[in-house]
Amino acid sequence: MGVDFDVILEGLMTALEPMNLFWIALGGFLGTVVGMLPGLGPATAIALLIPITFGMDPVSALVLMAAIYYGAMYGGSRSSILLNTPGDGSAIAATFDGYPMAQKGQAGQALAISAIASLIGGLIAVVGFIMLAKPLASFALRFGPAEYFLLMIFTLSAIVALSKGAMVKGFISMTIGLLISTMGIDLQSGVHRFTFHLPELSEGIDFLIVIIGIYAVGEVMFNYIGIDKPRGKKKEVGKIWITKDQWKRSKWPIIRSAPLGFLIGVLPGAGGAIASMISYTTERQISKKPEEFGKGAIEGLAAPESSNNAASVGAFIPLLTMGIPGSGTTAVILGAVVMLGIKPGPLLFENDPELVWTFINSMFIGNIFLVILNILLVGLLVKILDTPAKILYPLILVLAFIGTYTLSYSPIDFTFLLIFGLLGLAMKLLSFPIAPLILAVIVGSDMEQNFRKSIVGADSALSIITMSPITIVLTLLTLLSLFYPMILGWFKKRKLNNLPK
Amino acid sequence: MYRLILPLIFFLLGAGFLISTFNLPKARLGDPYGPIYFPAILGVLLVVLSIIYFIEEWKQRGDKFPELELLLKGRTPFLLISTLVISLIYAFLFERVGFLISTIFFLGGLLFLINGRKKWMTNIIVAVSFSVITWYSFAVLLKVSLP
Repeated sequence: MGVDFDVILEGLMTALEPMNLFWIALGGFLGTVVGMLPGLGPATAIALLIPITFGMDPVSALVLMAAIYYGAMYGGSRSSILLNTPGDGSAIAATFDGYPMAQKGQAGQALAISAIASLIGGLIAVVGFIMLAKPLASFALRFGPAEYFLLMIFTLSAIVALSKGAMVKGFISMTIGLLISTMGIDLQSGVHRFTFHLPELSEGIDFLIVIIGIYAVGEVMFNYIGIDKPRGKKKEVGKIWITKDQWKRSKWPIIRSAPLGFLIGVLPGAGGAIASMISYTTERQISKKPEEFGKGAIEGLAAPESSNNAASVGAFIPLLTMGIPGSGTTAVILGAVVMLGIKPGPLLFENDPELVWTFINSMFIGNIFLVILNILLVGLLVKILDTPAKILYPLILVLAFIGTYTLSYSPIDFTFLLIFGLLGLAMKLLSFPIAPLILAVIVGSDMEQNFRKSIVGADSALSIITMSPITIVLTLLTLLSLFYPMILGWFKKRKLNNLPK
Repeated sequence: MYRLILPLIFFLLGAGFLISTFNLPKARLGDPYGPIYFPAILGVLLVVLSIIYFIEEWKQRGDKFPELELLLKGRTPFLLISTLVISLIYAFLFERVGFLISTIFFLGGLLFLINGRKKWMTNIIVAVSFSVITWYSFAVLLKVSLP
């Protein structure tokens, strides 16, 4: 395997330094709180809390950010179970059986199994990370500009293809994101592009403003709709533990879902949302009592919780080894990581093993910490859930503005922040998928640089495709992701035709 | 018919972008068209996509926009516009009167707007304490310079 245990141990020691433990705890807690807010998910949590990481050393910043990420995933399932309002896509599956369980008076058991499943899923995925990351990084060493360019195209088209039923809207969203990324001075030639003679635009639009605008301001504005609606009554939480029988029922679903979720998380475009859906439907199909699913079956909650946490760990593999994020949330993390001066890519493992392994070990510790937090402090967390949204939304807006100010110390950025907030609101209202735009804004300029490098000396732009076996495979994968809805439809039709009449 | 407005906007955006791409100055270093290729492809892509989108929307041109009605219901439009106005005032005041005072007013304004006038006590306490806490943690703990 080539896994160097000394380095792993060293990373563990760094992760256990008091300061880093503090960041894990703080990030996990803050992430849980933001993730619990109805309608807000991990992407918002990270976007809001990025300013805290400025001035921190890169290792601690990455540890903190990851803690916010999985903290928000934990928090998201809290509000799914107790209020039936998932914070983001990956928490949706937790409402299917989590909310019915809470309705039946088993809120405590639901919270407990969700925490336990998340922990086991996360831990299994960390082991997977250790085994898969290094080989993938050495494979990625063979990637040149053409390969990177096509990999980015494939990631973008996969993420668009997976935004169900809205392919055209997804591609429009992606194109607009790429357009935004071309604004400002061109790095290679010094030409001003689309700056409209505004000096503020000469360096382009900071992608963090786009992120904070869309994920924080836009989301809050979207939540103005129905803000006066009374919220669903919460049931008594009761004792936070599960019975032996419940453990027996959920043990295997948890263990089965973890590797599945992990692998789905590694794939570009597919994140926790898809991982949790797939493991939910898989468990329902192989269950002996599928009729109980949706009515509060404990395995229907355990499986997606394990799988979405595993997926969030898996998503860090393409992010760190290739610098390619697979989802909106990881794109936000990539943006923040680049700001801190870390350069994700295959060489990160060679040049900065301490950073990588501290980070991986911090995920171990963070997952354990979150379970303790969720079980011991459940009373406090439930109280936070009681804080009226009407007070929390203004606070989020304030944090968004402060965060934006710290980017370049100019209140003019507030105007851009509002513009992107309105854009985010419009996209949510008209159901344009947001992740393709965020991803495009972040990888856009890299993508263009790789494109231009790969056409230097090529006879035509098309020869990028046939440059190496890797480029051919990537092109085929892209085509597959574009046409898979059609292929799927064709297969279904054939199957129907073959049925006995 | 107003379903068709959005595809038209995208079409104009793409076309406008494409035209301004060709008006970009040529690069003096390296390939003169270097800065142009990528945005030009994007412009074409957006034009093509807007046409497909137009055709999709044309098929359901009679349908209403339920989303738009959601936005115009109740006090949502009022909240949105007031948030924008308060935010712009905040942007104007931020460097002029300093972080602490402007943030107390910004947050207080938003709270009175969203949380309602009846809960004025809570609003004031939250506005003042949250502003002071953030000011303290950013300016003192994180050493971010705030006006």
